[in-house]
Parts: sequence; structure tokens; C-alpha cells
Amino acid sequence: MKTVTVLVLSVLFQTAGNLLVSRGMKQLAATSPWETTPWLSFSLQMAASPSVWLGTLLLIIFFILYAALLSWADLSFVLPASSFGYVLNVALAHYLLLEPVSMSRWFGTMLISIGVVLVSMTGTQSAELVKEEAVSQSGVPG
Amino acid sequence: MKTTLMIAIIVFSTAASDILIARGARRVKRLSVFKLSEIAVMARRILSNVSLLSGVLMAAVSFAAFLIVLSWADLSLVLPATSVNYAIATLGCKVILRERINRLRWTGTFFVCAGVALISLP
Repeated sequence: MKTVTVLVLSVLFQTAGNLLVSRGMKQLAATSPWETTPWLSFSLQMAASPSVWLGTLLLIIFFILYAALLSWADLSFVLPASSFGYVLNVALAHYLLLEPVSMSRWFGTMLISIGVVLVSMTGTQSAELVKEEAVSQSGVPG
Repeated sequence: MKTTLMIAIIVFSTAASDILIARGARRVKRLSVFKLSEIAVMARRILSNVSLLSGVLMAAVSFAAFLIVLSWADLSLVLPATSVNYAIATLGCKVILRERINRLRWTGTFFVCAGVALISLP
């Protein structure tokens, strides 16, 4: 339960952080394109953008949560399981930003969801896997 | 050829970053994100952890390679291609982190891999 909570929180922070940084950078590029703006003035404007700051803060929180998660859960569990962030992104882009979502993208979303369910069924730690296998193979000398 | 090489660099540095961060985090021992007093202790441990810091460095390498390859290649090619990372990183989990990965977890990972590739297509 703790693993699921931290996993969901970290993905939410990552998605919100990415959205905010992306919005901040786009607003910045609209007023001063980075090809023509001197890098120092561009950096200063970037440092003055509340969206970029808030987004970066959220991404730092994401990283702390992610590192904490990996301190007890398997990477081979966390990595595929956290990919439901992609599903979240597609859904948000479709319902909030009203972006059109193609057939192949919905199909991809479905494949990711199936994958996440399958990976979740294996438990979060190898220790649990080992136990499960020991139960299912009981009687077979190891 | 140049694009393939860059995609390989992105995939391997992303996988390396994940594995190093996981190895580092495991050495930091159980972290509690719910206790405010432990955050300072945790920050100090993280900043003195070589694996974790090299993991962050590899993430920076992967991001730089990603930006560079996008200066000549299409995002619609690069993004789906980098989803191979899921398979490579899981292989790394087995070989380097010695995690036990059963058939179900592999199957799920390949579903995710294919799904991410499909989603990244235009």
C-alpha cells in the first residue's frame, strides 16, 4: 500500500512538474525566442518565471519520492509500473488541453495499462517473488 | 548511422541512470518521506552517495543526447525508439541488481514497451 501511494504521488508530481516547466518555457519562447536572445538574458528570464520555478520544485519532490521508492521496491517493478504516467498524459492532453488522440495512441495506452496490471501482479519486491515461486513449486527440490 | 548511435547512447544512459539511482537508493537504506525531520538526514545521505550522484549525471547525459539528436532527427522516430529502454533496464535489474524477474513481469514489461512505442508515434 505504501509503495502504491508513493508511486502514484511521484508520477503525479512528475506529470505536473513536466506540464508546468513546459508551459513556462513555451511562454518564454513566445516573448523571446532562444535562438535570438542572448543566453544570459534568457537564463535570467527563465529564473524569473514562476511556472519554471514551481515545475522544477515539483520535479525535485518527484526525484526524492522516486529515490525513496527505489530504496525498498524493485526497479524492475517501479519502472514499468510508473509508465501509467504516459496514460495519464494522454488522458490529460485529451480532456484538459482538448488535443486529438489517434487510434494508435489509444491502443498504446491500452497496452501500457495491461502491462502495468501484469507487472503489479508480480508484487513489488523480489523477496515476494521468491516466496511465491517457492509456494508454487513446493515439493520440487531447489 | 549517427542517429542509431545517438539513440543507443540515450537508451543505455537512461538505463544506467535508473540502475545507478536504484543501487544508490538501496544503500541509503529505508527512507521515510513522511517524516520532516528525516529529510535533512536523507538529503545529506543522497549528496554523499556516489551511485546516486552518478545516476543523476547519467540522466543528464541522456537528456543532453536527446536534445542533440533532436537537432537533426524527428521526434516521432527518436521517442518510440527509446522505449527499448524498458527492456534494457529490466535486463540490467536482473544482471546487475540481481532482482528476480519472473515470466509475468517480463510479459508486463514488454506490453509497456510496445505501448510506449505506440503512444510516441505521431
